Amino acid sequence: MGALIRGKAHLLGDDINTDIHCSSKYHPGRDNAYVAQHVFEQLVPGFAARLAKGDVIVAGRNFGNNSSREQAVHILRLLEVGAIVAASFGRQFFRNCINNGLPVVECDVTGISGNDEVEIDLALGRVAVPARGIVREVPPLPGEVQAVLGAGGLIPFLKAHPDWRIPSPLTGEG
Amino acid sequence: MGATIAEKILSSHSGTRSARAGDVVVASVDFAMLHDGRAPNALKRVAELGAGKLPFAARTAFVMDHYSPPPHAEAANVHREMRAFAEAHRTVLYDVGDGICHQVLPEGGHFTCGDLVVGTDTHSTTYGAFNAFGTGVEGTDLAAVMMTGRLWFRVPETIRVELRGRLQPGVWAKDLTLAMLGRLGAEGANYKAIEYAGPAIAAMEIDDRMTLANHAAELGAKAALLEADEKTIAWLQSRGARGPRPVTADPDARYSERIEVDAAGLPPQVARRHKVDDVVGVDEAAGQRIHYALVGTCTNGRLDDLRQAAAILKGRRIAQGVRMIVTPASRNVYLQAAREGLIEALTQAGASVEAAGCGTCVNITGHLITGDGDVVISSANRNFKGRLGNANSEIFLGSAATVAASALTGRITDPRTVDGGDWRPVSKAA
Repeated sequence: MGALIRGKAHLLGDDINTDIHCSSKYHPGRDNAYVAQHVFEQLVPGFAARLAKGDVIVAGRNFGNNSSREQAVHILRLLEVGAIVAASFGRQFFRNCINNGLPVVECDVTGISGNDEVEIDLALGRVAVPARGIVREVPPLPGEVQAVLGAGGLIPFLKAHPDWRIPSPLTGEG
Repeated sequence: MGATIAEKILSSHSGTRSARAGDVVVASVDFAMLHDGRAPNALKRVAELGAGKLPFAARTAFVMDHYSPPPHAEAANVHREMRAFAEAHRTVLYDVGDGICHQVLPEGGHFTCGDLVVGTDTHSTTYGAFNAFGTGVEGTDLAAVMMTGRLWFRVPETIRVELRGRLQPGVWAKDLTLAMLGRLGAEGANYKAIEYAGPAIAAMEIDDRMTLANHAAELGAKAALLEADEKTIAWLQSRGARGPRPVTADPDARYSERIEVDAAGLPPQVARRHKVDDVVGVDEAAGQRIHYALVGTCTNGRLDDLRQAAAILKGRRIAQGVRMIVTPASRNVYLQAAREGLIEALTQAGASVEAAGCGTCVNITGHLITGDGDVVISSANRNFKGRLGNANSEIFLGSAATVAASALTGRITDPRTVDGGDWRPVSKAA
């Protein structure tokens, strides 16, 4: 762990309910690949097309609110989103992100603009936009959560550690 | 420093001496639940995990309640898959018509005070009515629990709510929660646990306590916890639950917020169209014309809810042009309601009583289809625009008593103004 996540910022606002904007509820009968291409398009037309691998979603309050559908996270993984930084998250959405290996950081996002290069250090607990001189300390994710994220999600984590033994962040040993 | 109920339960289940808010623990789960709405994803995740054995299956209930009865072949096929899986791995199974997950789990005696229970549904907070830490999870979580019996949790901060006095006749836990929603806003307790305490809780019957814990999901709560008393323990024992291990909060526990609510002075509340937190006293909504009335769902489909409705509607007739649906929370609730003559009273009054289940809440079953301009008064928990499938209709939320009183007059009505609207249960235990 400790690898720096670096990606271009894509801004979204407050109270983005992923239920509406990135699940098949919005596109009944369509598969994830189709839904992914239309993600958030009601709010930001062409969002998916502009998203490159490893880019970072920067959002306001309650991101993923009301939706406990894990599929909303599968869509974002499919689009290879590098991380999500938001002022706050819906509870189950936050959980689903970690369980599916998508880094999430709760952090003040004021001053961050679209296309800014955002740097996230999960181990240290830091979000930075070097070009704007923004450096924000956040409580680092607990070791257990970092381990699950590092493994790519809960299922790969449990395949490697069926007894839930958390690898030590210092030695990498279980 | 003392601990909250949430901190104590998560500590005792993770072998951590003193887990506190903000800590992440890996905790042993006592019971798990998967309902048909989330079964396809969860079973896919179980397959991905590729575990040969699922030691926790015997302590996992599969519940077919969202598609009860299934409205299309796709749902019926999900049920087939659940039945086959349940048989192969020996999970507990509740089939179509048996009832809503949050009702059949306690009725089945599957958990007790002090337990840690997870379910694939945000309203899994219901189990907190019995002093158990109940919380909602998703398919990956459920797969992990079925394989290992354990799961990671972030220990939540707790909001302590002290209820002053006791609710007056005609006022219910539903009204209390709606008042909380008006005050804190939807998701006002996001990530957090809520502890409810005070004389109003002691006076409440179990059914109403379940509403209180259940409906905390609309506040965004991760869990809603009540302390156990004689009523709790007697109820659990009568359902064959394991010996209770009641957990209390320490007097010096640390809370993120303390709130006082004047329970005694609270009138019936109504959440107005489209927003669970646009809440007013029933007076302010009174007179609003309604076309549809629903008593049911995991929030208010229990016996005391049906009794409230029947107390108002017995020997009368709902207003012309109003349609009313009643969905008992479980087969047991249905049976007891039949024994007490409630089903007869409600049916004679003009209501249609449906199979136990929760599909009417989001109209999954296709039985509650509204027309353009229709206004629904519902005892359910959410009233988002279009929740019943037609964005050109509106949903108001209130207690079962408010729903029944409104069905009677055709307009939103304070139940205390109609005969029978002041009905309240007589406690057996205390």
